[in-house]
Amino acid sequence: MNEHIVKSYDEDLQLVGRKIAEMGGIAEQMLNDAMDALSTFDADLAMRTVALDARLDLLQREIEGKCVVTIARRQPMAVDLRHLMAAIHIAADLERVGDMAKNIAKRSMKIVEDPRAPRAIVGLKRMSELASAQLKDVLDAYSRLDLERVAFVWKRDAEIDALEDIVFRDLLTFMMEDPRNISFCTHLLFCSKNIERIGDHATNIAETIHYLATGESMPLDRPKGAGSADGPAIADA
Amino acid sequence: MNDMSLTAETRAGARPVKFAVNNLNFYYGGARALKNITFDLETNRVTAFIGPSGCGKSTLLRVLNRIYELYPAQRAEGEVLLDGKSILDPSVDVNLLRARVGMVFQKPTPFPMTIHDNIAFGIRLYEKLPKSELDGRIESALRSAALWSEVKDKLNASGLSLSGGQQQRLCIARTVAIKPEVILFDEPCSALDPLSTAKIEELIDELKASYTIAVVTHNMQQAARVSQYTAFMYLGELVEFDVTEKMFMAPKKKQTQDYITGRFG
Repeated sequence: MNEHIVKSYDEDLQLVGRKIAEMGGIAEQMLNDAMDALSTFDADLAMRTVALDARLDLLQREIEGKCVVTIARRQPMAVDLRHLMAAIHIAADLERVGDMAKNIAKRSMKIVEDPRAPRAIVGLKRMSELASAQLKDVLDAYSRLDLERVAFVWKRDAEIDALEDIVFRDLLTFMMEDPRNISFCTHLLFCSKNIERIGDHATNIAETIHYLATGESMPLDRPKGAGSADGPAIADA
Repeated sequence: MNDMSLTAETRAGARPVKFAVNNLNFYYGGARALKNITFDLETNRVTAFIGPSGCGKSTLLRVLNRIYELYPAQRAEGEVLLDGKSILDPSVDVNLLRARVGMVFQKPTPFPMTIHDNIAFGIRLYEKLPKSELDGRIESALRSAALWSEVKDKLNASGLSLSGGQQQRLCIARTVAIKPEVILFDEPCSALDPLSTAKIEELIDELKASYTIAVVTHNMQQAARVSQYTAFMYLGELVEFDVTEKMFMAPKKKQTQDYITGRFG
Protein backbone atom coordinates (compact mmCIF):
# COMPACT_ATOMS: atom_id res chain seq x y z
CA MET A 1 0.00 0.00 0.00
CA ASN A 2 1.35 3.40 -0.98
CA GLU A 3 1.67 6.10 1.62
CA HIS A 4 -0.83 8.91 1.89
CA ILE A 5 0.11 12.27 0.44
CA VAL A 6 -0.65 13.68 3.91
CA LYS A 7 1.87 11.97 6.19
CA SER A 8 0.01 12.59 9.45
CA TYR A 9 -2.86 10.51 8.02
CA ASP A 10 -0.57 7.46 7.87
CA GLU A 11 0.58 8.22 11.42
CA ASP A 12 -3.06 8.30 12.63
CA LEU A 13 -3.78 4.91 11.08
CA GLN A 14 -0.52 3.38 12.34
CA LEU A 15 -1.22 4.60 15.85
CA VAL A 16 -4.61 2.87 15.83
CA GLY A 17 -2.95 -0.34 14.57
CA ARG A 18 -0.33 -0.23 17.33
CA LYS A 19 -2.94 0.28 20.03
CA ILE A 20 -4.92 -2.71 18.74
CA ALA A 21 -1.75 -4.80 18.91
CA GLU A 22 -1.20 -3.64 22.50
CA MET A 23 -4.78 -4.52 23.43
CA GLY A 24 -4.34 -7.93 21.83
CA GLY A 25 -1.20 -8.59 23.86
CA ILE A 26 -2.92 -7.62 27.11
CA ALA A 27 -6.03 -9.69 26.35
CA GLU A 28 -3.92 -12.76 25.59
CA GLN A 29 -1.91 -12.29 28.77
CA MET A 30 -5.06 -11.86 30.85
CA LEU A 31 -6.52 -15.11 29.57
CA ASN A 32 -3.32 -17.05 30.19
CA ASP A 33 -2.79 -15.53 33.64
CA ALA A 34 -6.40 -16.09 34.66
CA MET A 35 -6.12 -19.78 33.72
CA ASP A 36 -2.80 -20.09 35.57
CA ALA A 37 -4.38 -18.45 38.61
CA LEU A 38 -7.27 -20.88 38.35
CA SER A 39 -5.17 -24.03 38.08
CA THR A 40 -2.59 -23.04 40.72
CA PHE A 41 -5.00 -21.30 43.15
CA ASP A 42 -2.79 -18.21 42.90
CA ALA A 43 -4.94 -15.39 44.30
CA ASP A 44 -2.18 -12.85 43.85
CA LEU A 45 -1.89 -13.55 40.13
CA ALA A 46 -5.69 -13.44 39.91
CA MET A 47 -5.75 -9.96 41.41
CA ARG A 48 -3.07 -8.71 39.05
CA THR A 49 -5.08 -10.10 36.16
CA VAL A 50 -8.19 -8.24 37.30
CA ALA A 51 -6.14 -5.04 37.57
CA LEU A 52 -4.91 -5.34 33.97
CA ASP A 53 -8.44 -4.93 32.67
CA ALA A 54 -8.43 -1.18 33.37
CA ARG A 55 -5.62 -0.70 30.86
CA LEU A 56 -7.63 -2.60 28.26
CA ASP A 57 -10.71 -0.43 28.86
CA LEU A 58 -8.64 2.73 28.55
CA LEU A 59 -7.05 1.55 25.30
CA GLN A 60 -10.45 0.77 23.83
CA ARG A 61 -11.62 4.29 24.59
CA GLU A 62 -8.48 5.76 23.09
CA ILE A 63 -8.88 3.73 19.91
CA GLU A 64 -12.53 4.69 19.56
CA GLY A 65 -11.72 8.34 20.14
CA LYS A 66 -8.86 8.31 17.65
CA CYS A 67 -11.02 6.59 15.02
CA VAL A 68 -13.91 9.02 15.44
CA VAL A 69 -11.62 12.05 15.25
CA THR A 70 -9.89 10.63 12.18
CA ILE A 71 -13.23 10.01 10.46
CA ALA A 72 -14.33 13.56 11.25
CA ARG A 73 -11.07 15.18 10.15
CA ARG A 74 -10.16 13.16 7.09
CA GLN A 75 -13.40 11.65 5.77
CA PRO A 76 -11.64 8.36 5.02
CA MET A 77 -12.67 6.29 2.02
CA ALA A 78 -12.36 2.67 0.95
CA VAL A 79 -9.58 0.75 2.72
CA ASP A 80 -8.91 3.61 5.16
CA LEU A 81 -12.53 3.72 6.26
CA ARG A 82 -12.61 -0.06 6.57
CA HIS A 83 -9.41 0.10 8.62
CA LEU A 84 -10.97 2.52 11.12
CA MET A 85 -14.29 0.69 11.31
CA ALA A 86 -12.41 -2.58 11.83
CA ALA A 87 -10.34 -1.02 14.62
CA ILE A 88 -13.50 0.09 16.45
CA HIS A 89 -14.97 -3.42 16.19
CA ILE A 90 -11.78 -5.26 17.11
CA ALA A 91 -11.14 -2.98 20.09
CA ALA A 92 -14.66 -3.74 21.35
CA ASP A 93 -14.09 -7.50 20.92
CA LEU A 94 -10.75 -7.37 22.74
CA GLU A 95 -12.26 -5.34 25.54
CA ARG A 96 -14.88 -8.06 25.99
CA VAL A 97 -12.16 -10.74 25.95
CA GLY A 98 -10.60 -8.84 28.85
CA ASP A 99 -13.91 -8.89 30.73
CA MET A 100 -14.21 -12.65 30.23
CA ALA A 101 -10.65 -13.25 31.45
CA LYS A 102 -11.27 -10.95 34.41
CA ASN A 103 -14.34 -13.01 35.28
CA ILE A 104 -12.29 -16.21 35.22
CA ALA A 105 -9.68 -14.59 37.47
CA LYS A 106 -12.36 -13.48 39.95
CA ARG A 107 -13.89 -16.96 40.04
CA SER A 108 -10.46 -18.51 40.63
CA MET A 109 -10.32 -16.54 43.88
CA LYS A 110 -13.62 -18.04 44.98
CA ILE A 111 -12.62 -21.65 44.49
CA VAL A 112 -11.11 -22.90 47.70
CA GLU A 113 -8.12 -25.11 47.11
CA ASP A 114 -9.64 -28.51 46.67
CA PRO A 115 -7.78 -31.72 45.79
CA ARG A 116 -10.60 -32.73 43.49
CA ALA A 117 -10.53 -29.53 41.42
CA PRO A 118 -7.38 -30.04 39.26
CA ARG A 119 -8.90 -33.08 37.57
CA ALA A 120 -11.89 -30.99 36.59
CA ILE A 121 -9.72 -28.20 35.23
CA VAL A 122 -7.90 -30.34 32.64
CA GLY A 123 -10.59 -29.90 29.99
CA LEU A 124 -10.83 -26.18 30.71
CA LYS A 125 -7.08 -25.83 30.25
CA ARG A 126 -7.34 -27.45 26.86
CA MET A 127 -10.15 -25.06 25.91
CA SER A 128 -8.23 -22.01 27.04
CA GLU A 129 -5.06 -23.10 25.21
CA LEU A 130 -7.11 -23.28 22.05
CA ALA A 131 -8.77 -19.91 22.72
CA SER A 132 -5.37 -18.38 23.43
CA ALA A 133 -4.01 -19.80 20.14
CA GLN A 134 -7.06 -18.35 18.38
CA LEU A 135 -6.36 -14.92 19.82
CA LYS A 136 -2.69 -15.08 18.90
CA ASP A 137 -3.39 -16.26 15.37
CA VAL A 138 -6.12 -13.72 14.73
CA LEU A 139 -3.90 -10.88 15.96
CA ASP A 140 -1.09 -12.08 13.70
CA ALA A 141 -3.59 -12.17 10.86
CA TYR A 142 -4.56 -8.58 11.68
CA SER A 143 -1.01 -7.29 11.59
CA ARG A 144 -0.31 -8.96 8.23
CA LEU A 145 -3.83 -8.95 6.77
CA ASP A 146 -3.31 -12.69 6.30
CA LEU A 147 -6.56 -14.06 4.87
CA GLU A 148 -5.43 -17.67 5.03
CA ARG A 149 -4.94 -17.39 8.74
CA VAL A 150 -8.26 -15.61 9.06
CA ALA A 151 -10.01 -18.56 7.40
CA PHE A 152 -8.10 -20.98 9.64
CA VAL A 153 -9.16 -19.17 12.83
CA TRP A 154 -12.71 -18.86 11.59
CA LYS A 155 -13.00 -22.61 11.01
CA ARG A 156 -11.15 -23.66 14.17
CA ASP A 157 -13.67 -22.00 16.51
CA ALA A 158 -15.85 -25.10 16.12
CA GLU A 159 -13.22 -27.05 18.07
CA ILE A 160 -13.67 -24.79 21.10
CA ASP A 161 -17.41 -25.29 20.92
CA ALA A 162 -16.92 -29.04 20.79
CA LEU A 163 -14.57 -28.93 23.78
CA GLU A 164 -17.08 -26.86 25.71
CA ASP A 165 -19.57 -29.64 25.21
CA ILE A 166 -17.12 -32.19 26.61
CA VAL A 167 -16.22 -29.99 29.59
CA PHE A 168 -19.90 -29.51 30.33
CA ARG A 169 -20.49 -33.27 30.46
CA ASP A 170 -17.40 -33.82 32.60
CA LEU A 171 -18.40 -31.20 35.14
CA LEU A 172 -21.92 -32.58 35.25
CA THR A 173 -20.50 -36.00 36.01
CA PHE A 174 -18.36 -34.59 38.83
CA MET A 175 -21.36 -32.86 40.33
CA MET A 176 -23.43 -36.02 40.21
CA GLU A 177 -20.64 -38.05 41.73
CA ASP A 178 -20.34 -35.87 44.81
CA PRO A 179 -22.48 -32.87 45.80
CA ARG A 180 -19.44 -31.28 47.46
CA ASN A 181 -18.13 -30.72 43.92
CA ILE A 182 -21.11 -28.63 42.92
CA SER A 183 -19.75 -25.32 44.19
CA PHE A 184 -16.45 -25.27 42.31
CA CYS A 185 -17.89 -27.08 39.30
CA THR A 186 -20.46 -24.33 38.92
CA HIS A 187 -17.70 -21.75 38.85
CA LEU A 188 -15.84 -23.83 36.30
CA LEU A 189 -18.96 -24.04 34.15
CA PHE A 190 -19.07 -20.27 34.00
CA CYS A 191 -15.36 -20.26 33.19
CA SER A 192 -15.91 -22.62 30.27
CA LYS A 193 -18.67 -20.34 28.99
CA ASN A 194 -16.28 -17.40 29.26
CA ILE A 195 -13.62 -19.22 27.27
CA GLU A 196 -16.15 -20.23 24.66
CA ARG A 197 -17.13 -16.55 24.34
CA ILE A 198 -13.50 -15.55 23.96
CA GLY A 199 -13.36 -17.96 21.04
CA ASP A 200 -16.41 -16.24 19.57
CA HIS A 201 -14.72 -12.85 19.88
CA ALA A 202 -11.64 -14.23 18.09
CA THR A 203 -14.00 -15.39 15.34
CA ASN A 204 -15.63 -11.94 15.24
CA ILE A 205 -12.19 -10.42 14.81
CA ALA A 206 -11.40 -12.87 12.00
CA GLU A 207 -14.58 -11.77 10.22
CA THR A 208 -13.70 -8.12 10.75
CA ILE A 209 -10.23 -8.65 9.25
CA HIS A 210 -11.77 -10.37 6.26
CA TYR A 211 -13.98 -7.33 5.71
CA LEU A 212 -11.05 -4.98 6.25
CA ALA A 213 -8.93 -6.79 3.66
CA THR A 214 -11.56 -7.49 1.00
CA GLY A 215 -14.48 -5.12 1.57
CA GLU A 216 -16.76 -8.13 1.68
CA SER A 217 -18.42 -9.90 4.58
CA MET A 218 -17.87 -13.56 5.45
CA PRO A 219 -20.85 -15.92 5.31
CA LEU A 220 -23.36 -15.48 8.13
CA ASP A 221 -23.30 -19.17 8.99
CA ARG A 222 -20.34 -20.01 11.14
CA PRO A 223 -18.89 -23.51 11.27
CA LYS A 224 -20.50 -25.32 14.20
CA GLY A 225 -18.92 -27.68 16.68
CA ALA A 226 -20.55 -30.70 18.27
CA GLY A 227 -23.03 -28.29 19.84
CA SER A 228 -24.59 -25.15 18.48
CA ALA A 229 -23.17 -21.74 19.29
CA ASP A 230 -25.54 -21.23 22.19
CA GLY A 231 -24.31 -24.26 24.05
CA PRO A 232 -26.70 -26.97 22.99
CA ALA A 233 -24.95 -29.01 25.58
CA ILE A 234 -27.67 -27.68 27.84
CA ALA A 235 -30.42 -28.91 25.56
CA ASP A 236 -28.72 -32.29 25.32
CA ALA A 237 -28.23 -32.68 29.04
CA MET B 1 -18.62 -6.52 -22.93
CA ASN B 2 -15.46 -5.14 -21.42
CA ASP B 3 -14.42 -4.92 -17.80
CA MET B 4 -16.17 -1.57 -17.42
CA SER B 5 -19.52 -3.29 -17.65
CA LEU B 6 -21.26 -3.66 -14.37
CA THR B 7 -21.73 -7.14 -13.04
CA ALA B 8 -25.11 -8.76 -13.48
CA GLU B 9 -25.64 -8.34 -9.76
CA THR B 10 -25.08 -4.58 -9.75
CA ARG B 11 -27.09 -4.11 -12.92
CA ALA B 12 -30.13 -5.72 -11.37
CA GLY B 13 -32.80 -3.08 -10.97
CA ALA B 14 -31.01 -0.88 -13.49
CA ARG B 15 -32.91 1.85 -15.32
CA PRO B 16 -33.08 2.21 -19.09
CA VAL B 17 -29.93 3.59 -20.65
CA LYS B 18 -30.15 7.30 -21.57
CA PHE B 19 -26.67 7.84 -22.88
CA ALA B 20 -24.59 5.01 -24.30
CA VAL B 21 -20.95 5.88 -24.95
CA ASN B 22 -18.87 3.39 -26.89
CA ASN B 23 -15.15 3.62 -27.66
CA LEU B 24 -15.13 7.38 -27.47
CA ASN B 25 -11.88 9.16 -28.35
CA PHE B 26 -11.42 12.90 -28.16
CA TYR B 27 -8.71 15.10 -29.58
CA TYR B 28 -7.56 18.62 -28.84
CA GLY B 29 -5.69 19.10 -32.12
CA GLY B 30 -3.16 16.29 -32.04
CA ALA B 31 -3.52 15.54 -28.33
CA ARG B 32 -5.73 12.61 -27.42
CA ALA B 33 -7.67 13.60 -24.31
CA LEU B 34 -10.09 10.67 -24.08
CA LYS B 35 -9.07 7.09 -24.80
CA ASN B 36 -11.64 4.46 -25.73
CA ILE B 37 -14.23 5.51 -23.19
CA THR B 38 -17.20 3.17 -22.81
CA PHE B 39 -20.02 3.52 -20.30
CA ASP B 40 -23.78 4.03 -19.96
CA LEU B 41 -25.72 6.75 -18.17
CA GLU B 42 -28.90 5.35 -16.66
CA THR B 43 -32.16 7.27 -16.79
CA ASN B 44 -33.17 9.00 -13.53
CA ARG B 45 -29.83 8.26 -11.96
CA VAL B 46 -26.94 10.49 -10.93
CA THR B 47 -23.56 9.42 -12.25
CA ALA B 48 -20.49 11.13 -10.79
CA PHE B 49 -17.18 11.52 -12.60
CA ILE B 50 -14.10 11.86 -10.44
CA GLY B 51 -10.39 12.01 -11.15
CA PRO B 52 -7.42 14.37 -10.91
CA SER B 53 -7.30 17.60 -12.91
CA GLY B 54 -6.71 16.97 -16.57
CA CYS B 55 -8.00 13.40 -16.50
CA GLY B 56 -10.67 14.20 -19.11
CA LYS B 57 -13.83 14.23 -17.04
CA SER B 58 -14.89 17.75 -18.08
CA THR B 59 -13.92 16.96 -21.67
CA LEU B 60 -16.18 13.93 -21.52
CA LEU B 61 -19.09 16.04 -20.28
CA ARG B 62 -18.48 18.55 -23.06
CA VAL B 63 -18.87 15.79 -25.64
CA LEU B 64 -22.32 14.84 -24.37
CA ASN B 65 -23.89 18.09 -25.63
CA ARG B 66 -21.27 18.77 -28.30
CA ILE B 67 -20.38 22.06 -26.69
CA TYR B 68 -16.76 21.38 -27.69
CA GLU B 69 -17.71 22.26 -31.25
CA LEU B 70 -17.66 25.92 -30.31
CA TYR B 71 -13.87 25.58 -30.42
CA PRO B 72 -11.80 24.81 -33.52
CA ALA B 73 -9.56 21.76 -33.81
CA GLN B 74 -11.48 19.71 -31.27
CA ARG B 75 -13.05 16.50 -32.42
CA ALA B 76 -14.71 13.39 -31.04
CA GLU B 77 -14.56 9.89 -32.54
CA GLY B 78 -16.59 6.89 -31.52
CA GLU B 79 -20.20 6.33 -30.68
CA VAL B 80 -22.36 8.45 -28.40
CA LEU B 81 -26.01 7.44 -28.40
CA LEU B 82 -28.79 9.45 -26.77
CA ASP B 83 -31.89 7.24 -26.56
CA GLY B 84 -30.18 4.99 -29.09
CA LYS B 85 -29.54 7.72 -31.67
CA SER B 86 -26.08 9.05 -32.45
CA ILE B 87 -25.42 12.62 -31.38
CA LEU B 88 -22.05 12.90 -33.11
CA ASP B 89 -23.65 12.63 -36.53
CA PRO B 90 -23.18 15.92 -38.47
CA SER B 91 -26.89 15.97 -39.31
CA VAL B 92 -27.84 16.34 -35.66
CA ASP B 93 -29.28 19.76 -34.78
CA VAL B 94 -26.90 20.84 -32.02
CA ASN B 95 -29.28 23.50 -30.70
CA LEU B 96 -31.94 20.88 -30.19
CA LEU B 97 -29.34 18.55 -28.66
CA ARG B 98 -28.31 21.25 -26.19
CA ALA B 99 -31.95 21.84 -25.31
CA ARG B 100 -32.24 18.14 -24.48
CA VAL B 101 -28.88 18.02 -22.71
CA GLY B 102 -28.51 21.02 -20.41
CA MET B 103 -25.33 22.06 -18.67
CA VAL B 104 -24.47 23.87 -15.43
CA PHE B 105 -20.95 25.19 -15.06
CA GLN B 106 -18.43 25.57 -12.29
CA LYS B 107 -18.86 29.31 -11.90
CA PRO B 108 -22.42 30.62 -11.88
CA THR B 109 -23.04 32.28 -15.24
CA PRO B 110 -26.19 34.40 -14.95
CA PHE B 111 -26.87 36.73 -17.87
CA PRO B 112 -26.63 40.45 -17.06
CA MET B 113 -30.42 40.82 -17.02
CA THR B 114 -33.29 40.38 -14.57
CA ILE B 115 -33.92 37.10 -12.77
CA HIS B 116 -37.12 36.76 -14.78
CA ASP B 117 -35.39 37.32 -18.11
CA ASN B 118 -32.50 35.01 -17.24
CA ILE B 119 -34.97 32.17 -17.38
CA ALA B 120 -37.29 33.55 -20.05
CA PHE B 121 -34.33 33.94 -22.40
CA GLY B 122 -33.78 30.22 -22.89
CA ILE B 123 -37.48 29.42 -23.16
CA ARG B 124 -37.99 32.08 -25.83
CA LEU B 125 -35.24 30.50 -27.95
CA TYR B 126 -37.27 27.34 -28.32
CA GLU B 127 -40.90 28.24 -27.74
CA LYS B 128 -43.37 31.10 -28.24
CA LEU B 129 -45.46 31.19 -25.08
CA PRO B 130 -48.16 33.63 -23.97
CA LYS B 131 -47.01 35.74 -21.01
CA SER B 132 -49.10 33.95 -18.39
CA GLU B 133 -47.78 30.59 -19.48
CA LEU B 134 -44.23 31.92 -19.65
CA ASP B 135 -44.51 33.29 -16.11
CA GLY B 136 -45.89 29.96 -14.94
CA ARG B 137 -42.96 28.15 -16.51
CA ILE B 138 -40.51 30.56 -14.86
CA GLU B 139 -42.12 30.02 -11.47
CA SER B 140 -42.02 26.26 -11.80
CA ALA B 141 -38.37 26.37 -12.92
CA LEU B 142 -37.45 28.55 -9.93
CA ARG B 143 -39.40 26.24 -7.65
CA SER B 144 -37.66 23.13 -8.91
CA ALA B 145 -34.33 24.91 -8.40
CA ALA B 146 -35.41 25.67 -4.80
CA LEU B 147 -34.99 29.40 -5.44
CA TRP B 148 -38.59 30.60 -5.77
CA SER B 149 -39.19 31.57 -2.14
CA GLU B 150 -36.01 33.62 -2.10
CA VAL B 151 -36.62 35.59 -5.32
CA LYS B 152 -40.39 35.67 -5.89
CA ASP B 153 -40.61 39.29 -4.72
CA LYS B 154 -37.70 40.54 -6.81
CA LEU B 155 -38.01 38.86 -10.19
CA ASN B 156 -37.08 42.15 -11.82
CA ALA B 157 -33.84 42.50 -9.89
CA SER B 158 -30.64 41.70 -11.75
CA GLY B 159 -29.52 38.07 -11.70
CA LEU B 160 -26.08 39.36 -10.75
CA SER B 161 -27.46 40.80 -7.48
CA LEU B 162 -27.94 37.28 -6.08
CA SER B 163 -25.41 35.47 -3.88
CA GLY B 164 -23.12 32.85 -5.46
CA GLY B 165 -25.27 29.96 -4.31
CA GLN B 166 -28.44 31.67 -5.52
CA GLN B 167 -26.81 32.48 -8.86
CA GLN B 168 -25.93 28.81 -9.28
CA ARG B 169 -29.50 27.80 -8.52
CA LEU B 170 -30.67 30.46 -11.00
CA CYS B 171 -28.50 28.77 -13.62
CA ILE B 172 -30.05 25.42 -12.70
CA ALA B 173 -33.53 26.99 -13.01
CA ARG B 174 -32.53 28.35 -16.43
CA THR B 175 -31.43 24.87 -17.47
CA VAL B 176 -34.54 23.18 -16.10
CA ALA B 177 -36.87 25.78 -17.71
CA ILE B 178 -36.28 24.49 -21.21
CA LYS B 179 -37.26 20.98 -20.10
CA PRO B 180 -34.10 19.05 -20.87
CA GLU B 181 -33.82 15.27 -20.47
CA VAL B 182 -30.25 15.23 -19.23
CA ILE B 183 -28.45 17.75 -17.01
CA LEU B 184 -24.66 17.90 -16.94
CA PHE B 185 -23.11 19.51 -13.88
CA ASP B 186 -19.46 20.52 -14.23
CA GLU B 187 -18.23 21.08 -10.67
CA PRO B 188 -21.43 22.90 -9.72
CA CYS B 189 -20.39 23.57 -6.11
CA SER B 190 -16.68 24.31 -6.25
CA ALA B 191 -17.30 28.07 -5.91
CA LEU B 192 -19.97 27.75 -3.22
CA ASP B 193 -20.01 27.73 0.58
CA PRO B 194 -21.05 24.52 2.42
CA LEU B 195 -24.67 25.59 2.95
CA SER B 196 -25.18 26.53 -0.70
CA THR B 197 -23.44 23.28 -1.61
CA ALA B 198 -25.88 21.31 0.55
CA LYS B 199 -28.81 23.03 -1.19
CA ILE B 200 -27.44 22.18 -4.64
CA GLU B 201 -26.86 18.58 -3.57
CA GLU B 202 -30.40 18.32 -2.23
CA LEU B 203 -31.57 19.78 -5.53
CA ILE B 204 -29.60 17.26 -7.58
CA ASP B 205 -31.18 14.50 -5.55
CA GLU B 206 -34.67 15.86 -6.28
CA LEU B 207 -33.95 16.52 -9.95
CA LYS B 208 -32.99 12.92 -10.59
CA ALA B 209 -36.66 11.94 -10.40
CA SER B 210 -37.21 13.84 -13.67
CA TYR B 211 -33.81 13.92 -15.35
CA THR B 212 -30.72 11.89 -16.05
CA ILE B 213 -27.79 13.57 -14.37
CA ALA B 214 -24.02 13.54 -14.75
CA VAL B 215 -21.85 15.41 -12.25
CA VAL B 216 -18.15 16.16 -12.51
CA THR B 217 -16.70 16.90 -9.11
CA HIS B 218 -13.36 17.17 -7.33
CA ASN B 219 -15.10 16.63 -4.03
CA MET B 220 -15.12 12.90 -3.44
CA GLN B 221 -17.50 13.11 -0.52
CA GLN B 222 -19.89 14.97 -2.79
CA ALA B 223 -19.66 12.22 -5.39
CA ALA B 224 -20.34 9.67 -2.64
CA ARG B 225 -23.31 11.67 -1.40
CA VAL B 226 -25.15 12.58 -4.57
CA SER B 227 -24.52 9.78 -7.04
CA GLN B 228 -25.73 6.26 -7.60
CA TYR B 229 -22.89 5.44 -10.00
CA THR B 230 -19.34 6.70 -9.97
CA ALA B 231 -16.72 6.72 -12.71
CA PHE B 232 -13.04 7.21 -11.95
CA MET B 233 -10.97 8.66 -14.79
CA TYR B 234 -7.23 9.02 -15.08
CA LEU B 235 -5.07 10.29 -17.96
CA GLY B 236 -7.98 10.19 -20.39
CA GLU B 237 -9.03 6.65 -19.51
CA LEU B 238 -12.06 5.40 -17.65
CA VAL B 239 -10.33 3.32 -14.99
CA GLU B 240 -13.34 2.06 -13.06
CA PHE B 241 -17.12 2.46 -13.21
CA ASP B 242 -19.39 0.95 -10.61
CA VAL B 243 -22.20 1.59 -8.15
CA THR B 244 -21.14 4.40 -5.85
CA GLU B 245 -21.09 2.41 -2.60
CA LYS B 246 -18.73 -0.13 -4.11
CA MET B 247 -16.46 2.54 -5.53
CA PHE B 248 -16.03 4.24 -2.18
CA MET B 249 -16.00 1.24 0.15
CA ALA B 250 -14.15 -1.36 -1.89
CA PRO B 251 -13.02 -0.29 -5.35
CA LYS B 252 -11.60 -3.05 -7.53
CA LYS B 253 -8.71 -1.15 -9.08
CA LYS B 254 -5.66 -0.06 -7.13
CA GLN B 255 -5.53 3.26 -9.02
CA THR B 256 -9.05 4.07 -7.87
CA GLN B 257 -8.28 3.16 -4.29
CA ASP B 258 -5.08 5.23 -4.29
CA TYR B 259 -6.91 8.24 -5.65
CA ILE B 260 -9.94 8.20 -3.38
CA THR B 261 -7.86 7.55 -0.26
CA GLY B 262 -5.39 10.32 -1.05
CA ARG B 263 -2.46 8.10 -1.93
CA PHE B 264 -1.90 9.33 -5.47
CA GLY B 265 1.74 10.17 -5.95
